[in-house]
Amino acid sequence: METTLANFIRALRNANVRISPAETLDAMSTLELVGYRNREELKRSLSLVLPKTIDDKETYDACFEQFFSFKNIEADIIESSIEPADSETVDQGGDGNTGNGQNSDARSPQSPNKKSKTKKDKQDSVSPKLTEELGSGQTSLATSTLGTLLMTNSSVELTLAMTKAAEEINIRDIEVFTQKGLYTRRIMDRMGLRELNQEIANLRASSSIPDRRLAQELTRRTDVLREQVRDYVEKQFLLNADITGRRLREDLLRRVKLSNIEHRNFRLTQEVVFRLAKKLISLHSRRKKNFKKGQLNVPRTLRRNMAYDGAIFDLHWKSVKIDRPKVFAICDVSGSVSNYARFMLMLLYSLEEVMPKIRSFAFSSDLAEVTELFKRNDIETAITKTLRDYSGGSTDYGQAFADFRKNCLEDLDKRSTIIILGDARNNFGDPKTEILREIFNRSKRVIWLNPEPQHSWGTGDSEMRKYSVYSHQVNECNSLLHLERIVNQLLLVAS
Amino acid sequence: MVEVAANIEELTRSVEAITKSLEEHKYICSKPIATAVYLAYHLNKPILIEGPPGVGKTELAKTTSDMLSLPLIRLQCYEGLDEAKAIYEWKYGKQLLYTQVLKETLDDVLGGATGFAESVERLHEFGDIFFSEEFLEPRPLLKGLKEENGCVMLIDEVDKSDHEFESLLLEILSDFQVSIPEIGTIKASRQPPLIFLTSNNTREISDALKRRCIHLYIPFPDTDLEQKIIQARVPQIAPELRRQLVEFIQELRTLDLKKVPAISETIDWARTLLLLHAENLDTELIKDSLNVILKFQEDIENVQSEIYSIKNKIQH
Repeated sequence: METTLANFIRALRNANVRISPAETLDAMSTLELVGYRNREELKRSLSLVLPKTIDDKETYDACFEQFFSFKNIEADIIESSIEPADSETVDQGGDGNTGNGQNSDARSPQSPNKKSKTKKDKQDSVSPKLTEELGSGQTSLATSTLGTLLMTNSSVELTLAMTKAAEEINIRDIEVFTQKGLYTRRIMDRMGLRELNQEIANLRASSSIPDRRLAQELTRRTDVLREQVRDYVEKQFLLNADITGRRLREDLLRRVKLSNIEHRNFRLTQEVVFRLAKKLISLHSRRKKNFKKGQLNVPRTLRRNMAYDGAIFDLHWKSVKIDRPKVFAICDVSGSVSNYARFMLMLLYSLEEVMPKIRSFAFSSDLAEVTELFKRNDIETAITKTLRDYSGGSTDYGQAFADFRKNCLEDLDKRSTIIILGDARNNFGDPKTEILREIFNRSKRVIWLNPEPQHSWGTGDSEMRKYSVYSHQVNECNSLLHLERIVNQLLLVAS
Repeated sequence: MVEVAANIEELTRSVEAITKSLEEHKYICSKPIATAVYLAYHLNKPILIEGPPGVGKTELAKTTSDMLSLPLIRLQCYEGLDEAKAIYEWKYGKQLLYTQVLKETLDDVLGGATGFAESVERLHEFGDIFFSEEFLEPRPLLKGLKEENGCVMLIDEVDKSDHEFESLLLEILSDFQVSIPEIGTIKASRQPPLIFLTSNNTREISDALKRRCIHLYIPFPDTDLEQKIIQARVPQIAPELRRQLVEFIQELRTLDLKKVPAISETIDWARTLLLLHAENLDTELIKDSLNVILKFQEDIENVQSEIYSIKNKIQH
């Protein structure tokens, strides 16, 4: 049973719920305490031990429902079954199986020539037919492994057999959805479908009526089982493969050039950005103090030591708090760079918790402040609106800087960080570097992020060489990975 | 003492037993809450309780201590809380005083000692007297560990403390022990304390702390549960009024308010209405007593204009 739990935890991890080995151990002790009997109680108990945030709890609920949902099997088979030769049949099935997944033991002790089979060759032996009449005289007894199993009405055994077969064919290696059919067939084969088919064929050919009845019933139940197996494969696919694939894609998205991200991937990228932001927040939410080396904070020390009769026990040192940066983001939103602006703004605004003071500006030729727009709308709408309203027109950095100087040069002080995102392609217009110099002199840092690769800076109409003189930091920035690195730095040095 | 232990054993036998005995102490709880207490007791793990303010996080700890008849040791967290206030501190005054006394009797102590080396040796015999348990002032957490028959420890609003303090807690939470450099490790008595931590989610609690705890999220209760709670807490109130009041509050929670009313506010309101001898929830009455459930002028104004429509909703 521990394997089940381990698999469940694997599935949870796949769904992005962080679970440490320590928590796995907790889950095991919890399991010992509550047991598997009561599904609701189990769900409730594990949900206290495994997921540790509210979001995770939701994911957990969904996962649990998906993972522990075999009980339908029983319902399905019994519901649709036409009264089988009940008492005897049930008895027979009940004898052998001990419920530990050994479906090859599921034979009744009445068939003496059954060998205990190993995993590899278990379906090979062909058993002689047992067509003895039962007391009620309705149907014959099934003889093949799978047949017996099907006729026992035991969902648990059937599920265990299915899980075991699935395990043996390495269901968890399933990667793409086209493999679903293949894996379904493999599981059925592994459970002994061929033998069963053989039996059904023989029964059909038989002249005895109970035999034929059995054949009919077996066929029907096989169909139900196939349905269940397909369901199971589907679930395994969702639990394992889909997310592995997704992780691959997310990983890729972080590296790929932002301008190459296709529209259909925006949503996923957004999630990646948010997760990135969350990581940065948790990294920086703690306000750090920098202790000035060896400078005693005399008033504080005296005050704190009054309790000790004025004897100086407890020393306090002078320190400075590292401040939140005051960020001005100026984004070129003209066609060529708009995608970069989208994701940078998204990231910056997701960081509100650690970067509360952020003002943003968008321009292609004229510059406008979009801070209010972002305050009033959610990030996505704000970005769409910004891109719609400001991205027309040919790029003019000179004009944009002039506008910026007019609007908020006074607001710049020694704590401001200016982030300029743009390719510096000015259509051979006046770059107005003197304004950037002014900004440079007034602010703490000017960071220029250029989505173009470094070797093309300064070629053609690019003014990057001139602008970079008046920037504290110039970075090539064209993937989420770059973006993350830069924002991290920004938060680190802000003081 | 054996009786107490047996009693606790009996009380925590099953989730249902816990639910029932909490109910007897006027704490009506949902199944997850009872399960959490059950697991915490049997797995010996602390519970981290999160949820909006006023849903009974602190109350749960208090009631549990009542229920198990164990002492409650409470530590309120705030920014700047450190180990000197939470775990232990040296009795500096006493140490100083004893030093003074010792100074005067130093001759007696060193009596007969000849030479510096011997004196030092004599002094060494005093060893670490000044840093022994005699001079240790236990603060809440250490006190809780030393409690003979176990206790319920409540570390309230842990999100208000600093990150450093969170790390300090880790040793206690996972091993029920405290290491004091001068003395050594102090372990919990036979019965480790049942620890409750509460958090209002003003900041994310570190993974390290979460890993060591059972995580319980208490949301606002649904109508039925809230009715039961009011019934337990303010039994004198008429059933019809209780229904109206709870439904009104439930409606309020769906509005966009600065601070939505919590259970504690519902209880306060029920008491207020009882005091005013109200029999029915009419518009005037609501208007006059809104300040009991809403704590911002802005919210009160917003709701005042909506009272009528909310009332309509709950009537049907």
